[in-house]
Amino acid sequence: MIFTRSTLMVLLLTVTFGVSFALLSPIFTDAQLEQKTFVTHSGRVIETSGEVLDPVYTVSTVDFDPDEFLRNFEYGRISISDNGQTIRDYTIIAEDDKVQEISPGVFFNVWTFNGTVPGPTIRATEGDLVRIHFINNGSKSHTMHFHGIHPAEMDGVFEIVGGNGGQFTYEFEAGPVGVHPYHCHVMPLEEHIVHGLYGVFIVDPKEGRPPADELVMVLNGFDTDFDTENNFYAANTIPFYYQHHPIQINTDQLIRIYVVNMVEFDPINNFHLHGNLYQYYPTGTDLVPSFYTDMITLSQTERGIMEFQYDYPGKYLFHAHKVEFSEKGWVGLFLVKDNSTSEAYYGN
Amino acid sequence: METSEKTSRIKVVTSGIIPFVFVVLMVAYIFGPGADLLDLGVPLPELTIEKIAFEKSEIHVTVRNTGPLPVQVVMADVNDRIHPAAIEPDKFLNRYETALVRIPFEWNEAEPYTIGLTTDDGTRFERNIDAAAPALQMNFEFVVFFAIIGTYVGIIPVMIGLLWLPFIKKISKSKYHFFLALTVGLLLFLGIDSIEEAFDVSLENLGGSFNDVLLIATTVVLSFLGLYYVSEKLTGRADSLRISKPVVIGLMIAIGIGLHNFGEGLAIGAAVGLGSIAFSTFLIVGFALHNTTEGLAIAAPMSRGKLMIGKLITMGIIAGAPAIFGAWVGGFAFSPFSSVVFLSIGAGAIFQVIVIILKWIREEGDKNLSSAAVAAGFATGMFVMYATSILI
Repeated sequence: MIFTRSTLMVLLLTVTFGVSFALLSPIFTDAQLEQKTFVTHSGRVIETSGEVLDPVYTVSTVDFDPDEFLRNFEYGRISISDNGQTIRDYTIIAEDDKVQEISPGVFFNVWTFNGTVPGPTIRATEGDLVRIHFINNGSKSHTMHFHGIHPAEMDGVFEIVGGNGGQFTYEFEAGPVGVHPYHCHVMPLEEHIVHGLYGVFIVDPKEGRPPADELVMVLNGFDTDFDTENNFYAANTIPFYYQHHPIQINTDQLIRIYVVNMVEFDPINNFHLHGNLYQYYPTGTDLVPSFYTDMITLSQTERGIMEFQYDYPGKYLFHAHKVEFSEKGWVGLFLVKDNSTSEAYYGN
Repeated sequence: METSEKTSRIKVVTSGIIPFVFVVLMVAYIFGPGADLLDLGVPLPELTIEKIAFEKSEIHVTVRNTGPLPVQVVMADVNDRIHPAAIEPDKFLNRYETALVRIPFEWNEAEPYTIGLTTDDGTRFERNIDAAAPALQMNFEFVVFFAIIGTYVGIIPVMIGLLWLPFIKKISKSKYHFFLALTVGLLLFLGIDSIEEAFDVSLENLGGSFNDVLLIATTVVLSFLGLYYVSEKLTGRADSLRISKPVVIGLMIAIGIGLHNFGEGLAIGAAVGLGSIAFSTFLIVGFALHNTTEGLAIAAPMSRGKLMIGKLITMGIIAGAPAIFGAWVGGFAFSPFSSVVFLSIGAGAIFQVIVIILKWIREEGDKNLSSAAVAAGFATGMFVMYATSILI
């Protein structure tokens, strides 16, 4: 009897200590022997036997391609009306069930116009008839609200478009000249915007602007843990993307950036350019620049056009000088090539 | 006859197995056809940052998946600013699995830092450090340093406490009971103190998934039962092993106190490791004063046996030396889970000792636990401990 009792006790103690020990000792599974490397902010090279967690400098790609978005303009299906007016037809489909990688390894439920955040850049000339065939394939109600001049019933506020195939056609004359945002305007508005239902609407002056390498930058952010503070910031959605994929431009070439600030939660955003200053046209409504600066401050949906050219080749940073934003992704590089050795690129 | 015995045995075994079969069926049902029943709510990921060490030009973060789901750690930040980092062995963490995140960062000593880790669903988990201090390197200098501190805190005060032995030897029976009860008071206080410390460590460092209250309760009870069993065996065989009952009781007290002092060593080592130097000075002085009373606890029962200097010194070392090991572990290899377990084992050990001494008093004191001497001793013990604990 004593024997069984002590055996039981020993067994009990063994089990207890065994379980504790198993929990105590970290479990190392499939230790990889191959060394990987990454660089730090100060350029040091670090080796690791594990995995690299680096959205900042390590080249990586996700579903959405900011390079493609950067120089992509949607001019619509063009037709001419009887009175000679250009008609531009667009089809925009809203969805709200996609889960996309918005930073390497980070998956977030984005609500999209035509499958991307931001939605397509809609571009027309002043006076064109813009016709948007809006289909809501989401599960919630959505609309499209354009900043600009249009009739009240085309404002996308009271004309709620129900989900699961609801439709609406927005029709208005493009104007005024400039760069404007469009976004969903269903309440709760903040929720619909921060999930990604926004895009850029460019209205060109009839006489056009001087030829330039034209870029679109939507300054945006994501609050992935829903604490009403952004976890990520970016120019064109993907944090740090243009840092490891520098935007290639040429010396002595006019660069024109249509910049729209869609960051929510934080009252301001800004745009600082290195090694240069730019002519700035607030909202792009005037053809004469208002400022010559390297720093503009943008409130919610505040936007404008920046024009500049580089004299010297090399790598130049551009970033939010609200450094918190740049250290969470809103930072990039221009790789300026010597114009004499490469072909000039002209957008538009 | 034999066959009927066999059948009855089979019956017993079968009746023991049948409920198990139903348990298996029940579990199989909930995971199989009844799986819809479990489809309630959304399980959320959970990471617990257990340890942050400031190495040369790097911050080392030990993280454990304490949630119900496997997760991937995909990003690290310092003060809510994203930094390139590495995770070893890999970023996939199953439940309870740990990994080391290395963030290259030129940190500044004594500045506060917040370390954040983001999982694949974009949830960020963070932990604050009040003041960055270089992680202790396990070199000869620090090993010696902790050994000296451990000796100062553990061994020396216990030895000083043992010097009360001749005094206790000479006093009357009721006064002796007073001192035994005083010991009980001291130990009860230490036991409560250990449990409180275990709660502190688990609250600060462990995820809720460890069920800290139950972890501590279970460990305390198991430790109590284990040591109680061992000491009963030892006491029962005391005569045949040619050691006297007072010595056995003294030894059990010394073991209990030793486990407790291991916890104190842990606290000191961890405090030095975390760079709370001022705090650890208080800890060292406070524990040292506090621990002289522990010597008294060992001396009290031993005073009724023959004076055995050698055994006394051994017990002083058994009670005191674990403080050195504790300081080493706390300083060099702090693990919150093992600390909680050790502190709980210590508490269980102390409660076991309390039961033994109370029994001893009852046997010695004509089956009476309610004499004035005992009550006064008990109260004094608690009060003295409280008074000295304020010094920490």
